[in-house]
Amino acid sequence: MDERNSPSSPPTREPLIEFTGVKKRFGPKVIYEDATLSIYPGETITILGGSGTGKSVLIKMLIGLLRADAGSIKAFGHEVTTMNEAQLLSVRTRIAMLFQSGALFDSLTVEQNIKYPLREHAWGTDAQMKARVEEVLEMVGMPGSQKLKPAELSGGMRKRVGLARAIAIQPEVILYDEPTTGLDPVNVRRINGLILSLQAKLGVTSIVVTHDMDSCFTVTDRIAMLYDKRIAFVGTADETETCTIPYVREFIRGGRGVLSEDVV
Amino acid sequence: MEGFITLLRDAGAVAILTVRAFFAFFKAPMEITPVTYQLDHSGIRSWSITVLTALFTGMVLALQFATGLEPYGGSMYTGKLVSLGIVRELGPTLTALLVGGRVGSGFAAELGSMVVSEQVDAIRSLGADPIKKLVAPRVLACIIALPLLTILADGVGVFGGLLITMREVGVTAKFFFTQVKDTLGMVDLLHGLAKSVFFGYFIGILGCFIGLNTTGGTEGVGQSTTKAVVTTAITLLVSNYVLSTIFVAIYG
Repeated sequence: MDERNSPSSPPTREPLIEFTGVKKRFGPKVIYEDATLSIYPGETITILGGSGTGKSVLIKMLIGLLRADAGSIKAFGHEVTTMNEAQLLSVRTRIAMLFQSGALFDSLTVEQNIKYPLREHAWGTDAQMKARVEEVLEMVGMPGSQKLKPAELSGGMRKRVGLARAIAIQPEVILYDEPTTGLDPVNVRRINGLILSLQAKLGVTSIVVTHDMDSCFTVTDRIAMLYDKRIAFVGTADETETCTIPYVREFIRGGRGVLSEDVV
Repeated sequence: MEGFITLLRDAGAVAILTVRAFFAFFKAPMEITPVTYQLDHSGIRSWSITVLTALFTGMVLALQFATGLEPYGGSMYTGKLVSLGIVRELGPTLTALLVGGRVGSGFAAELGSMVVSEQVDAIRSLGADPIKKLVAPRVLACIIALPLLTILADGVGVFGGLLITMREVGVTAKFFFTQVKDTLGMVDLLHGLAKSVFFGYFIGILGCFIGLNTTGGTEGVGQSTTKAVVTTAITLLVSNYVLSTIFVAIYG
């Protein structure tokens, strides 16, 4: 592990997810040279980094949507990087992802969208699935929206339906890809509240990818910061606030609207 | 040279996508509903452009043959030439070009939009296979639809030829159909239909392949759509020659 990557108080349990020495590049552009990070059961960890630093790439590699070029990614003790699509199915039933735009299927209604993973995993009878749809829509604060099409929903509603779809099959880990980007302050608070309430109600492990500092400090137990093609810092919210590493300070001050001395 | 390597690489990737789509379709549970949906959406809804294209092609073909052959006293053979030209060549090829433009670009735009809005990733993350869900039903629907549309085009094209031949040459409908019957054999019909099966495959697989490989946001979707039209048209024209050569060599 990078010497800067030194969580002062890592949970003592076995990690649920482990990235070790992960390398990834797209053509000539190197995204990760040596990414190492451990994530523990039940925690909410936020991955921070500037635009284009590959925050989303990290979580997409975890569920095999993208392949790491080298290194190891373990989920629930199993190596993900060597799994084929069929083997990845078992990982994807336990790790759900909320995509940045919600990624709802345009041609399907809200109900059909949420039933999609339930059908794929033969979750139960039609009546059971219907009840589950009602239940998860209630959880995300959108009861009665079953018959709406994604085009009729606002950005915030799409994300909430996307979240309802993600939690429908009762995952153990939820990945949030920029959950608050592009939302108004009311919806930002609502989504942050949902992340917290799902954490409390379902006891899931959450990995939140964002560059929204306020969201980050609201929902997170630990913060991992991407810098220079690696996870350069990991610490609790308090440790991050008091961190003296220049780029961490710069990111936090910038993210909270404080201009740095250089800029001034 | 670089372009040639790209072409080879893409051809290989299309072949792999074909094999994966084939096995994905037959993998349980077999899903027929998406195929019928695509058949309706892509096939049946293409009937109007097929009819229009075939009708006017048959008409213009008859007009050209009737007037062009008249100095040589050959205008009485217009029915033979029109029916042969439509059934063996223009029926399948023009139908494929028109449907390819409509359907292939539609596939590329739809799948391209799904890629850039992360819906394809969402399908995978929800435990489903995008090739089974998106590619297999579209390709199969095109393979089924194109021969059916070609039969329609053959019939309408010959009918268009009949109308103009009757007017320009002054033959009766009975005379025209006798000529058509004497000229066309089952081989001619099968020649056109066999080609249309391949055309259906090309339209489906290229539209899907280009759509799934979309990059660069909404601009990329536009580029994929254009690329699908051009690539499909060129592939259809080149493959038409190759397939015709093979069928002529085998069946004459």
